[in-house]
Amino acid sequence: MKRIFLVTLLGACTAANAQFGGFDLGKALDIGRKVVENKDAVKEYTQDEEIALGDALTASVLGASPLHPDANLQRYVNRVGKWVALHSDRPDLPWSFAVIDTDTINAFAMPGGDIIVSSGLVKRLSSESELAGVLGHEIAHVVKKHQLQAIQSSARGNLFASVGKDLAAERIGRSGGGYAAQAVKTAASNAAADLIKDGFFLRPLDRSMEYEADQLGVVIATRAGYDPYGLVSALQMLAQYKGGADAASMLSTHPPAGDRIGQLEQVLPSVQQYASHPQLEGRFRQVVGAAK
Amino acid sequence: MRRMGLRTFLVVSLLAIAPAVFAQEQAFTNRSTELRDRGAADARVVASLPENTAVKVLARGGGWTRVEANGQSGWVSVFALRFPATVETGSSSAGGSALSGITSLFGGGRSADKPATIATTGIRGLSPEDLKNASPDNAALAKMQGYRADKPAAERFAREGKLATVSVDEPQGGRR
Repeated sequence: MKRIFLVTLLGACTAANAQFGGFDLGKALDIGRKVVENKDAVKEYTQDEEIALGDALTASVLGASPLHPDANLQRYVNRVGKWVALHSDRPDLPWSFAVIDTDTINAFAMPGGDIIVSSGLVKRLSSESELAGVLGHEIAHVVKKHQLQAIQSSARGNLFASVGKDLAAERIGRSGGGYAAQAVKTAASNAAADLIKDGFFLRPLDRSMEYEADQLGVVIATRAGYDPYGLVSALQMLAQYKGGADAASMLSTHPPAGDRIGQLEQVLPSVQQYASHPQLEGRFRQVVGAAK
Repeated sequence: MRRMGLRTFLVVSLLAIAPAVFAQEQAFTNRSTELRDRGAADARVVASLPENTAVKVLARGGGWTRVEANGQSGWVSVFALRFPATVETGSSSAGGSALSGITSLFGGGRSADKPATIATTGIRGLSPEDLKNASPDNAALAKMQGYRADKPAAERFAREGKLATVSVDEPQGGRR
């Protein structure tokens, strides 16, 4: 995006030069740099903006698929998730977790700390350490701001322009004082609506981001005291499923589970000493088994 | 003879209590590896399995997977297995292009309304269209936030599960 903009700018300068004779490359680059810096400034989200954008995206996912009605299940997943998130580098985000009521296998991490998992995924897991591994992966995406990076580096100019414009408008509003919080909310809602329409949750993140989230997810869940193999075990379960084009499933947006297990083989030796830590199958089955 | 009988009995009873989801789970060794009598690197070797040995997965958990290979059961490292994707998920078995005609007969736009072709009843699917066309449900968002656990609740929950914090460094090298 940046590069395209610079090239366009340089092109414009060259055209001007051809017309008027005399072209100051240094000056053109200087202007280019300034524009790029400004663009970067617009692209940096504050934590409040990150949270507002995440909440707006979450509201849309919940608009597509309702919350699972079992309150015990929701509280349980929140406790596991919060405990794991407390062992990440961003323990103070307002971490919220939800189970949506769909048999499709999926999980979503939103900027700012909202995480959604499908009941189709949770019910196919067999222990709390597997759930902790899955949530650790999603928490790692949030900690590393992978979704924000994907939004920012999107090749879709209109999408970027829209998000940038909305947040820039919000900044103007904020500098005037008063309406700040509401302006952030409105800007985030508009940006989220564009992202959703654009199929944001149907496109994969970079593979490297998924592998990084796997590795960090294992580490975070291990720090929280769980058996480090929870995520590997969950991936073994996932590996047996075929994705389908008609289902909005993580099977079609993630690298093959077998490849992910292979990548994790490199990090697991460093946490091997904790392999006897709790898997908590009993507690998991009690809550998840009771959820209709 | 008597010992063999006992072992067979044990295998059969373990198979019977293994969760149904594993009953049909087929995997292959992705390298030559050892089948051991416990899930531990220093456990006794029951058999040596060449690469591409078909195994039936009996239970997963920890770094070791309980499998049956050539009639013998034991444990292999999780990393020594590859899993061919063979199981259709509920929602991917419902609908799809082949079924779109049927779907329209039922007047269902959402995959939730699509008839399932395989086993599952009452499928509540989530289709790409559902996700793209969603309008925000702020009441559901507020409800979700009402389920948040605060730090003391999470700590109490961890103590009940005997989960103790350990110090582990962030993986080095990060992304490749």
